[in-house]
Amino acid sequence: MKFGLFYEISVPRPWGRETEKVVYDRCLEQVKLADELGFDTVWAVEHHFLEEYSHCPAPELFLTACAMVTKKIRVGHGIIVCVPEFNHPIKIAERTAVLDILSGGRLEVGTGRSATWTELGGFRANPDETKKTWDEFVHCLPKMWTQERYSYQGRSWSMPQRTIVPKPYQKPHPPMWVAVTSPGTEVDAAERGMGSLGLTFGGFAEQDEKVKRYRKIIKNCDPVGEFVNESVSTVNFLYCHEDDAEGVKVGKRFTGTFNYLAAQLLAAREAYPTKSYPSLGLLPSLRQDAAGPGDASGAPEGIAIGNPARLVRELKKWESVGVDRVNFLLNALEVVPQEQVLNSLRLFAKEVMPHFEKKAASKTEAAAAAAGAR
Amino acid sequence: MPPRFGTLDVNAWARAASTINGFKTEEWKLKGVQILELHIEIDDDPADALIPRTMHPAIPAYAIINVLHAPESPAGPFSVGEVRIAGRTGVRPRGFVLRSFCDSEVARKELAARWGFPVAPGAVSLSLRHDRVVGKVAVGGKTVLEAELQDRDAISGGDLQYIASMHLTRNRDDQKLVLVQVDPEYVFSKAERGKPRVMALDNDAFGAGSHLRLMNPISACFATAEMTLPKIRYICNPELPAMQGTTKLAA
Repeated sequence: MKFGLFYEISVPRPWGRETEKVVYDRCLEQVKLADELGFDTVWAVEHHFLEEYSHCPAPELFLTACAMVTKKIRVGHGIIVCVPEFNHPIKIAERTAVLDILSGGRLEVGTGRSATWTELGGFRANPDETKKTWDEFVHCLPKMWTQERYSYQGRSWSMPQRTIVPKPYQKPHPPMWVAVTSPGTEVDAAERGMGSLGLTFGGFAEQDEKVKRYRKIIKNCDPVGEFVNESVSTVNFLYCHEDDAEGVKVGKRFTGTFNYLAAQLLAAREAYPTKSYPSLGLLPSLRQDAAGPGDASGAPEGIAIGNPARLVRELKKWESVGVDRVNFLLNALEVVPQEQVLNSLRLFAKEVMPHFEKKAASKTEAAAAAAGAR
Repeated sequence: MPPRFGTLDVNAWARAASTINGFKTEEWKLKGVQILELHIEIDDDPADALIPRTMHPAIPAYAIINVLHAPESPAGPFSVGEVRIAGRTGVRPRGFVLRSFCDSEVARKELAARWGFPVAPGAVSLSLRHDRVVGKVAVGGKTVLEAELQDRDAISGGDLQYIASMHLTRNRDDQKLVLVQVDPEYVFSKAERGKPRVMALDNDAFGAGSHLRLMNPISACFATAEMTLPKIRYICNPELPAMQGTTKLAA
């Protein structure tokens, strides 16, 4: 199992001139430490207008800064909103290639379609269309990365023949992922040979079923890229402390804050009835579960808050249902002081990580190597 | 916790509040109800003055325009038209009812006494045409609300998500002001979606004054359903945040 960080970049009011800079600087300090400690990937979301919840509209810039201050940690652009009103596909191909070059081939490309009316409405995007445009984009991207000359006549966009440069540093191209929030999106990921970047958790039994379905379908997939990225990742919260009660207490404060913030936003489904958005989005199940009952300590099942022994126990459950990677949110509204966040990372690396082996080469790395070597 | 809370002057608002006859209301099952609902984004900052401190504004703020026709009920047929401001009580989406108007005096009295709805007399109509559904409220012969769904397009009832409502009322027993949550249940037999258009909205009739500014239309939906107006399950202190001032009533 691999571990990563997952950034929404939550910024508390009041917003002074320095507030956002302080938060960004702290995030970079965390990433630098995580790189030294052996974390595998840092993911950053693309969100717009989500006041306090996420001030991260340009993750490629944040991730470039991450790449500049680290050596090994991979940078996950997760997720790029594949909706033309948000991002033109040519720009996606170009800027991901540049980020891959600048990071020395450390890019992971997450794709998705936004889940809030706050964002979709802000860009005047049609919620009925986003699944369709996402599908079109993810089929185009690998070709734009790998073909010297490219032209396209499609449904939501088109272009005459041009040479899209630069090309990604990784060959044949970076691994591709799909944000899995709505039920059934893991099937979309599997059918296209893409990694499942899970953003929900509806209990281990449900997770087990989803992973089994994903693994079964991906065996016969029609990959959008030149290799299959068979990987299952999920998002979690992290606060690790020697004292279990203290870890749970601080962790619950942070998870509760995150949940509270997310609930203030306007889900696409609430504002605009459509079959395109069967769930509420924005980590709804993770939120629900993190707020729900767990054991006597009050720590919800599956959430990585508490002492190292508890975290090992909970993360082993994730491993047992076939999850390859867990990406952690570290803070919300800065309710956990920076030094405590850094200490939590250090303790996790020292006491928890050794219980989880890194496989020598993942299926994705082997597949990528066979398709053209990263 | 987000620092943005509603700033409604509850005592001033209470002048138009109904008096509820305690909180032990029996549910009403309403068959064949037709519901027109529009969602319209509104100017964010002034809208904070239209929700109580119990609530946070939704991001972005939006108004819900709802016109309902119940062909049969324990109080006979009735229609209601109302405007709500969407927000959150804690983490739960809720629409704060500004004012309601009802075309049946019997139903109006029952809705006020049983659930505390801020309901006043008015002429309410729902007109179904092939190209649109139009809801209209008139008071004293003057149109105070006229809104429509254009270009009717069938969708699944499962795609609809009506949020529960909250409103301010005065409890007859202790004369205290209280927020009552009403979370109806629906079994949909038909659902449609279309473009929303508001032809008339008299802010003063809904007590909104200059605080309500319609900005960006989101959606309109029309449904036919079996609707259950439930027993009251939650009440809130209008002066406190929901996390501190919510009371769950015995089933």
